[in-house]
Order: sequence, then structure tokens, then C-alpha cells
Amino acid sequence: MTSQTPSPGEWVLFSYRLPREPSGPRTTLWRRLKRLGVVQLSDGLVALPADARTREQLEWLADDVAEAAGTAGVWIARPTTVAQERDLATAMAAARAQEYLTLAEQCGHATREDAADRGRALRRLRTEWRAINRRDFFPPPARDIAAAALRDLAAEEAVPAGPTPGEVVESAP
Amino acid sequence: MRWATRAGVHIDRAACAWLIRRFLDPEAQFLFVTDPAEVPADATPFDMRGVDLGHHGGDCSFETILRRHDITDPVLWRIGEIVHVADLEDDRFDAPEAPGLDVVLRGLSMTGSDEQTLAVSGPIFDGLYEYHRRRLLLGREPA
Repeated sequence: MTSQTPSPGEWVLFSYRLPREPSGPRTTLWRRLKRLGVVQLSDGLVALPADARTREQLEWLADDVAEAAGTAGVWIARPTTVAQERDLATAMAAARAQEYLTLAEQCGHATREDAADRGRALRRLRTEWRAINRRDFFPPPARDIAAAALRDLAAEEAVPAGPTPGEVVESAP
Repeated sequence: MRWATRAGVHIDRAACAWLIRRFLDPEAQFLFVTDPAEVPADATPFDMRGVDLGHHGGDCSFETILRRHDITDPVLWRIGEIVHVADLEDDRFDAPEAPGLDVVLRGLSMTGSDEQTLAVSGPIFDGLYEYHRRRLLLGREPA
């Protein structure tokens, strides 16, 4: 392997089986996995890039699965090829990109709300931004679009409605 | 008593250690291990996989300790909400302090040993406790 070819990094895999009924634990588990930003490899097998935090979060979920009468395992693995790793990273980046674009769209809607609704939307969307960031391991270009949309919304929030004196002067013929 | 937890202390373990030393065992000694198998027989493990004082039924370890020891102090339960949201990031409670506190603890774990993290975070949790105690007594934000 030449120095130009990076070797694949470590991933933490989470394998799980849960009884079909009751459906509550399945739903909770899936919601938690989504929040962590996992990529699904196959039925009952998901992956995240390995670090202390991702590994710990999946280990806690493994305990939850065991408490819900299921079985789960946490594994450290390395893809055998860079291409295989790139496929995972691409899938994860695409999923995050979709979330960032939705966020940008919501920022756009919020700028047309009245001041009170705009303030509430800004707080909610900032929380959402942080949540997406936490599960964004391979930042896609759409991240910048969402960041700009949030900045625009925040700027709207900071100045009173209506043109500022500066803008009036500039737009005067 | 000796207490053991995983090395690389973050928010939940730091908060648990503070809770243990301040409310359960003033003489508490803490050990940091990398594998649950390394916990000595005479030490009580916490915030580790497969131990009693860990995550259970959606609770973080701090909340589990409160439950197991029948602690009803509302101020500690309020801190439990902050630790829960900081640790699990699930927005179960409204805890605006959580993201900031989490960042402070992460930063501490990058700059010093686990002992140092506990030494610095102890007074932070003391302050957090006092703030929320006053807030509860006043029924509004304390000055």
C-alpha cells in the first residue's frame, strides 16, 4: 500500500435481535440508533466510526436490548478495502445532507414568520443543528448551506423588522 | 469505600463521583479501569456495562444511583435531568445547561487526568447544586 492510499479506519458495529412483540423497545431502539446517525449494513446490523463516545453509546444500547429480552453485540471492525469504507461514509454523508437541507428549508420558512414565531423557530432549529452536527461524521457541502440559512435567520432576529438606515441610503437612487 | 468506573471520565461519571462523595460516602476513593473485569472485588462499580449502578430503563447512571439509594432531594433530581440530557442527548428534559456542561467536561477530559477532572468538576457541581437549590426555594431565577 502506498502512502497515497489511506487504510480504512476502525468502525464499531452493533448487531441486535429483539422480539417482534412488544414493539415498544424496537421503536425506542431505532429512534436512539437514528439519533446516533448509524448507517445500516443489513437487518439488525448497524455501524458508526469507532471512537470512545460511539462505542460507549452502542454499549449502553446493547444493555437496553438485553433488558428487553433481546440479544446484542458490539464489535470493533475494519473494512478490508478503502472503497467499502467510502461507501459507508458516502451513505452517511448523504443522510446528513438531507437533514441539513431540510433544516435550511425550515430556516427559510421561519424568516417569513412574525417576530415571536421566528424567535421560537430559531431556538428550535439551533437545537436541531447541534443534534445533526453530533451525528455528522463526514460533513457534506450541505452543512454550509444550513449554516448560512441559520445565520440569515439569526440576523433577521437580531435587527428590528423593516429596512435599516444603511439599507435605505444604499437603495436610494 | 472504593468505587470503580471506566477511565476517560465524562459528564455522567463525573456527576456520579460528585454525588457519591458528597451524599453517600465522604471517604470515597475512585478507581478508573478500562475493562469491567479489572474492577477489584471490594470496589463498587458504577457507570459501566452490566453493573447495577449503570444505565437502566432509559435512566443515566446518576439517576440510577438516586433511585437505588432512595434519594428524593428535588435539587439532585434536577441535576439528574441535566446530566441525563448531557449524557444521552435525547432532550427528555428541558435542560439548557446540558450542552455547555457537557463541553466543559469533555474539555477537562482532554487536558488532564481523571483525578484532575473530578477535582475540577466537584466545585462546578457544588455550584450547580447551590444555584438550583436557591432557584427551587425562590421559585424563580436566583440573582
